[in-house]
Amino acid sequence: MDQTQLNPHAQACLRGLMRVWFDFERRLNRIELIKRLETAAFSLEDYQSLLLHLRQQVIEGSRWITRCASSFTRDYADVRSIVIGHANDEHKDYELLEKDYVACGGSLSDIQRGERNPGSDALHGFLMYRASLENPIDLLGAMWMIEGLGDKMATSWAKQIDTALGRELNCTRFLRYHAENDHQHLQRFYQMLHRTCTDQLIADRIEKTAIVVGRLYCLQLEEIDEA
Amino acid sequence: MNAYITSTGRFLPGSPIDNEEIENILGKVHGKASRLKNKILASNGILTRHYALDSSHKTTHQNSEMAALAGQNCLDKRGIAKQKISMLSCATSQGDLILPGFGSLVQAEMQLQDLELHTTHGICSSSLMALKAAYNSVRTGEHAHSLVIASELCSRLFKASRYEALLNAKKPDFNAEFLRWMLSDGAGSCLVETKPHKQSLRIDWIKSFSHADAFPTCMSVGASSTGQTWQDYATYAEAESQGALLLRQDVRLLDNIVKIGVDGFLRLIADDYVQPQTIDYVLCHYSSDYFRGKIFEMLSQAGAAIPEHKWYTNLYTRGNTGCASIFIMLDEFLQTASIQAGQQIICMVPESGRFNTAYMKLTVVEP
Repeated sequence: MDQTQLNPHAQACLRGLMRVWFDFERRLNRIELIKRLETAAFSLEDYQSLLLHLRQQVIEGSRWITRCASSFTRDYADVRSIVIGHANDEHKDYELLEKDYVACGGSLSDIQRGERNPGSDALHGFLMYRASLENPIDLLGAMWMIEGLGDKMATSWAKQIDTALGRELNCTRFLRYHAENDHQHLQRFYQMLHRTCTDQLIADRIEKTAIVVGRLYCLQLEEIDEA
Repeated sequence: MNAYITSTGRFLPGSPIDNEEIENILGKVHGKASRLKNKILASNGILTRHYALDSSHKTTHQNSEMAALAGQNCLDKRGIAKQKISMLSCATSQGDLILPGFGSLVQAEMQLQDLELHTTHGICSSSLMALKAAYNSVRTGEHAHSLVIASELCSRLFKASRYEALLNAKKPDFNAEFLRWMLSDGAGSCLVETKPHKQSLRIDWIKSFSHADAFPTCMSVGASSTGQTWQDYATYAEAESQGALLLRQDVRLLDNIVKIGVDGFLRLIADDYVQPQTIDYVLCHYSSDYFRGKIFEMLSQAGAAIPEHKWYTNLYTRGNTGCASIFIMLDEFLQTASIQAGQQIICMVPESGRFNTAYMKLTVVEP
C-alpha cells in the first residue's frame, strides 16, 4: 500500500480524519485527569483509576470488532478478513492491563469486578450498535481513533506516567504494547479506506463516527474523576 | 479593496557568526563550554546567524534601531518618502523597554510623523498579526501606505551572565538552554499599499488559529518552576536567581506544533482558502526537520502535501529570528527567486509559545 495512491474520496476522508484527531487531542488536553498527566502532576491513584476504568472498555473492545467483522456481507468478504485479523491481535490485551494494575498496587479482584462508567457504557453501546448494522464501513472512523489512541498511549502517556510514578514499577506495559506493529496497522487502515470509501456520503459517515467515538471517549475519561 | 506588499526590507546586525564562534559572543557559562550546543545545532541545522551583541556583551544596536534600519531599507527599495506612511505596525517579542510599546520607539527612531501606530506582542506569529492589522487598514481604505516591521534582539537573554545568575551556581537545565543555540537577532519589514508597484504581492488572506486553551505554555520568559511569575517575587534579582527570567522551551511539547500546523493547513483546505496543487512556493519559518515524519507521510497519503522542492527557507544562513524570520525570508526570497505573475505563495508561521499558527497567501502581480 506504500506505493498505492488513495482514491480522491479516501484522501478527502483522511484529511477529515486527521482534523478530527487533532481536535480530539485538544479535547483530551482539556480533561482534568489528562491535564494532570500532561503536567506531571499525575498520582498513583490517578493511574490506578485510569486503568480500572479503561479495562472495562478494553475488555469489550474485541466484542465490537468481532461483531463488526460478522456484519460484513459477502460483498465485503475481503474487508471482513482484515477486521478478523485485527480482532485477533487485540482480543486479550486487557490481560496486560490487569497485570499493570496489579504491578502498581491494585488488586486483581477489584479490577475484574469493576463496572463500565457512564462514558464507557455510552461508547460501548454506540460501537455495538454501529457494528450490528450491515456493512458497518463507518467503523473505520472508530478504528482510526482507537489506533491513534494506542499510538498516543505508547509514545506520550507511558513516558509521562513512568516519569511521574517511576519506571521501576514496570506498570505501563499495556500502554506501550500499542506501539508494536503500528506501521503495519496504518497500512492496513489505508488499504481498507481506499477499498471502502468510494463516495462523499461514506466519507462523511466515517468522519462522523470518528467524532462520536472521540466525544464518548472523552466522556469516559471525564467520568473517572466523577466516580 | 485589495492590499499589496510592494516592497520588503531587512537588517541583520554585524557579520554572520558561525557555529564555532557562537560561544565567543554569548560566552561560556561559568567558563565551561556547553555540552548541549552541538547536539541542538545539529538538530536545528542552522549554520550562521547574526547578533546585535559583541564579545564583551555590549549591545551594538538596540532592537528599535534594527527595526528602523529594516523599515528604512524597505522604503528605500520602494523609493517612497517616509512622509507618505500613515500607519506603522510593529512586532517583537521583547522591546528595548518594557513600556511604552515597541512601535513608539521605532516611530521615534525612524522619525515618522503623525501616523497611526500599532504594536503586537507575542512571539513568532506576532509579525503576521502586525501585518494583518496593516492589511486590514489598507483594504478598508483607511490607509494607503502602511509600513510593517518585525524585529528581535533575543541575544541579550543568552549572555552567559544570565545563566550564571542562577542561585548557588546551579547549572541551567536543557529547556533553558535549548533556545540559546536556536535564536538570533535581526529585523524584517514590508510595505502594504493599495496599488501594486512594479512586481508586487497581492495579499489574498491572513488567517491564524490559536490553541492556548488546550496546551500548556511551551516557550516563555517570566515563569519559574514553582508557578510564580517574575513579577510575583519581592525583587527582580530574586526572580533572576530562581531562573524566572530565562527563556525556556518545554521541548516535550514541541511535537504539538507540527500537529496544530498541519491541522490549520487542513482547515484552510477544507474551507477552500487554499488548494495544495496550486501553490508554487511555501515559506515556513521552522526547521524542515520538524516536517518530516509520520504526520507528513499521512499528509502525502491524504493528497495535501506540497513537494519539498517548493519549500524555501533561509533559516540555515540567517538564523531563526523569531517574529522577524518570515519577513527576512520573504525579502531574500524575492531577491533571489525568479517569480512570475500569477504564482501563489503560502507563508506559514507556527508559534510554539502557547500554540498559535498563522498563515498567509500571496499572489504575484504585475501592475
